[in-house]
Formats: sequence, structure tokens, C-alpha cells
Amino acid sequence: MLERELQVGNRLGLHARAAAKLVQLLSGFSSQATLTGRGREVNAKSIMGVLLLAAAPGATLVLRVDGDDEAAAMEAAAALFERRFDEDG
Amino acid sequence: MRRALRGQPASRGIALGRVRVRHPQALVVSEQRITAEQVPDEILRLHRALDAARAELHGLRERLHGALAQEVGEFLDLHAMILDDPELLHGLDDLVTTGRYSADYALKLQRDRLAAVFEGMHDDYFRSRREDLDHVIGRVHAALQRRGDDAAAGLSGEILVCDAVAPQELAELQSQGVVAVVAASGSPLSHGAILARSLHLPLVLGGGELLSLANDGDALMVDGGTGELVLEPGPADLRRYHRRVAEIGKEQAQLTRLRRQPTRTQDGVDIRLYANAESREDVAEAHSLGADGIGLYRTEFLFLQRRELPTEDEQFLAYRDLVLGMAGRVVTIRTLDLGADKADHSGLALRSEPNPALGLRGVRLSLAHEALFLTQLRAILRASAYGPVRILVPMICCREEMQAVIALLEAARASLLAESAPTGPFVEIGAMIEVPAAALGLPDFIDLVDFVSVGTNDLVQYLLAVDRNHESLASLYTPRHPAMLRLLSELFTYGRRNGIPVAVCGEMAGEPENVPLLLALGLRDFSLHPSTLLEVRRAIRDADHASLRRRAQSLLRAHDRVSIEKWLAR
Repeated sequence: MLERELQVGNRLGLHARAAAKLVQLLSGFSSQATLTGRGREVNAKSIMGVLLLAAAPGATLVLRVDGDDEAAAMEAAAALFERRFDEDG
Repeated sequence: MRRALRGQPASRGIALGRVRVRHPQALVVSEQRITAEQVPDEILRLHRALDAARAELHGLRERLHGALAQEVGEFLDLHAMILDDPELLHGLDDLVTTGRYSADYALKLQRDRLAAVFEGMHDDYFRSRREDLDHVIGRVHAALQRRGDDAAAGLSGEILVCDAVAPQELAELQSQGVVAVVAASGSPLSHGAILARSLHLPLVLGGGELLSLANDGDALMVDGGTGELVLEPGPADLRRYHRRVAEIGKEQAQLTRLRRQPTRTQDGVDIRLYANAESREDVAEAHSLGADGIGLYRTEFLFLQRRELPTEDEQFLAYRDLVLGMAGRVVTIRTLDLGADKADHSGLALRSEPNPALGLRGVRLSLAHEALFLTQLRAILRASAYGPVRILVPMICCREEMQAVIALLEAARASLLAESAPTGPFVEIGAMIEVPAAALGLPDFIDLVDFVSVGTNDLVQYLLAVDRNHESLASLYTPRHPAMLRLLSELFTYGRRNGIPVAVCGEMAGEPENVPLLLALGLRDFSLHPSTLLEVRRAIRDADHASLRRRAQSLLRAHDRVSIEKWLAR
């Protein structure tokens, strides 16, 4: 199991489009993934779950992935956070 | 049994169709248990409904094109993802398999559970995602309820009878084949009603009783011009319906002949008719109806309902298409007019404001995001290389704002010049007059503008302190208020004396009934949605300008709305 702290760096926070990108990306991996923020843990492959975190810009979340392709999944997800979900020009 | 009812007319047109009732809070499902043996069949029923909802969303996505695809498509994509959400699906299966609930009740339980969490959120944006959830659940629920024959018919030829209808639903409903909408609540001045008119989709508001009287499949006749509603119409009603359809056809044919006619009064005064537009379809219609140009092009659609800002190139291409589409006639592009009331998806004004109408909106928002504003100004200037362009700045309230905009426009022009990017020889700049202070203070900044356009929708709202969407204030909201008429008269007179054209681009200018009043007050430039352009042209062609101008004094002496309407009736 891998665990990493990630920061929501885009200006809008983890809103629908960014959440959709994350869910779509993680759904491409077989590993289980959860996201924790403000004490709430959700399935990171669930759009409703991720939206329910209501993560604001600057929020820190903990991503946990567990499974055969966990390293690749973590790397891809972390890169998406790094790229600020390809927003903010 | 025949029942005749009356609602408030909101979008004209007559329709005859089958009723499709949508009850408020779509999920009124009572608790229903199933036996262990029924579980496999119920799971199958549930998944068939989910598949049907997926197929509907997919089909809808395919049918969308143009600007609409961008605006609505993103919602549909989100909805498709919600339908595939593992949490939602596991929960549903579990409620049926373990909880032994019917699929319908499982759906309601899941919805309520998720909705409760969303509703508890502090952030408006996230809280309003509950609407997306409801939309998706509603779609699955409808699929569960549908009888076999309904599915094939879809919504084609149906009249939606509902509690309320959201603006973004209308285009979707129409594309599904809905021929008219009756909504129990809402105002004819709301964005939804304006959109229905632009889609030529008959809309009647009120008629609240209908929601409880009508059943799916009942025949219903709707006259969006009179507000008349007839449930299970009789032979006499049907004859009347066919007569109305024929009349409307004849009227349309007459109006069509006016396409190539000049907009000239009986006594030979030429009036300019510009079109308000926000889609490619509007622009094409404006061109084919012989509009003198585009008087108000709303750029919000490029920004609304998407989560990232459009790039300069994206904007440039949209504006260039527009300029080329009008083939040499002037195009007035209004800079971004967003506010907390209509910015929830663009990300610019995500935070809610206690008083959006008086908040960071229009030019205030643009000036607060200088880089964004510069991008838009550069895109507009680049488009001006392809034809005559004017820039219209919304919500101006003082000279300083106009100065700031002009400074940014000069900066944009200089940066393009440095890059040797082509721009038009001369781009006019104008202020939108919506704030009473700007209407009263026009002399203070008239030297800075080439034209002004009066946004009467907001001006009436601010002048009378009446929210135009407020249901219980509907009778107070009217441009036919003596103070409003005097203000308009002064604006027209002051503009004429200073050689500055003054247009009216609010709903007021698009209502043929107001033509005599506006001509009497001295208006020469109308800017209106193409849907009523020919009717307004006909009203102008029927008018005698000199005699109306002579009657202006008696109009300006009116002390109340009744006197103004008496004047109009004369």
C-alpha cells in the first residue's frame, strides 16, 4: 500500500471537472484508491465520493492506493495534482 | 374530461401534445420490500433502467452541436460519470440484495443519503452538485417507471407539465421532442423564459392546478401567446387550434415578406434594428432577417458552464466567426458580463455574494481580473481585422471605470501592434447604461464613448429596486413607469444633441407593443432578439414618427402606469 499527501493547487479546487479527471485516471488502474480530507475518507474512483470532499484550493489530501499497479497509479495521480489538473493556463 | 385553465403567457406559439408530468421532488416513492426470490429480477430491472439512462445521455450527447455542445455537454459528461459511479452502484445493488428494497425505493434511499451530505456542505458550488445527482437519479427513476411503449416514443410530441424548469433544460427538452412546457412557478422575465422565446418553444407559467389534474398521456392544448391551457380538448377546441395554427402560418408568411423591407416609418424615418445574439444560430437568423448589425453579442456563453477559461485564440475564433457571419455589418461585442448570479461554473465568481445584483459583476469583475480582460480585449481587437466591430462595456457606473477600460484597450492595441498582429482601423467603444447613476451621469463621460446602449432589464431593476425574477413583485417590475420613461427620454435627447447614438437593448425593445412608446421618446436604434425582429419592424412600418413625437409630451406627463397604457392604447 502506498500513501502520499497531495495538495490541491489549482485555483478552483477539486470541482467537477478536476474530480472527473482524477476519477477517470484512477479508474484506469486495478488498484483500490481512497482519498482522505478533513477526516473523511472516500473512494477515489467515485465521482460522488471525490465531490463530497469539497476540497478547496490549497487543501491537503491523502491518497492511498493498494494493488498490483499501485506505484504507477500513485505516480500518475500525483502528476495530475502537480499539473494542477491541467488548469490555470 | 375537458378542463380549461389559464396561466401566464411566457413564450408564444401554440402546441397540441401528450402530457408528461414531472412532479416536484421527483422521488415520491413509498417503502417497498421484495422477497428473496424477487431479488435477481429486481436487480435486472434496476440495471436495465441504468442502461436506459446511460443510452439516453449518450444519445443526447451525440445530438448536441455547436455552442450548445460545449455548454450542455459538460453536464452530460458529469452525469454519465455519476451513473457509472461505483459507490452509487454498489449501494444500490446492496440495498436491493441485502436490504430487500424495490429498485425504486433503493434509488430514493441512495439519493437521500448522498443529497443529505451535499446539502450539509458550506460551499455553494459543491452544495449545488446535488442538482446533478437529482438529475441523474431522476433519469434512472423515469426509466424504471416507464412502460414499454413509452420508451420508444421518448418525449416526442409531449408537453412537459412541471413545477419549475431550469434554463439549461430547455434546449435539451426541445431536442428530445418536447413541443411546449407548462411550469407552475417562474416569471416571464426570467432567463428561462427569455431562452424559451429564443428557442420558439411555447411556455406557459402558473396554471398550477394543471400539475395535479393532468396525467401522463392526456391530450393538452397550450397557447403560449394567451396562456390558455385546455386539458382533453373537445371538437370545438381542436377546430380553434387548427384555426390558430393556420393564422400563425399566415402571419409568419406575411412577416417573412418583411425580411427584405426597410425599417422605415410611414413618414419615411429610417430606424435601425440590431440583433441581440449569443449563438451562431442567432447570428445566422439576424443576418437572414436583414438586421442592421449585431447590437449586443453576449460573450458569457464562452465562459459559462465550463471550468476553465477560454484562451485568446478560442475567443478570437468565436468573434471572427461572428464578424464574418454578419458580412460587413457592424457587430457589437459586449465584454464579459458575469456576476455571482451567473458565474458558478466559470470559476471567476465562485464565491457566493450576499447581494449579487450589487456585487462584483460586469465591468467590475473584468477590471478585477485585468489579465483576463486584456485577453478578451485582444481577441476582440484581432477579430476587428475582419469587419466592423464595436465594444460594449456592461455595468459602467462612473467615468473612472470607462477610463480604466480605455487604458486597457489601448494597452491591448499596443501589444498587438508590437506583435504586428492585424486589427481593424477603428474600433468604437460604448457603455451599457444599466446603473441609474450612469443614466443620470451620462454627461460626465459622454466624451469617452462612441455610442451607448441602454440595458433596460437591469436599469428597470435598479431604478425601481425590483428584482425582475421576484415572483411576488412581478406586477411592480415594468419599464412602463413614469420615471423610467423620463429617464429614457433624457438619454435619447442628450445622445442626439451630442451626436452619440443611443440604443435600447433590453427586452423592452423586442416587444412590438412598446414600439410607439419608444419612437415617441426619440429612440432610433433598437437592439432585440431576432425572434421578434420582424414584428418590431412591422410595428415601426405602421407608425407615423412625426405624430408620435408630437404626442411625447403627453406621454411624459403621465403620472402612473395606467395613464401610460392608456396613451399606448390611443
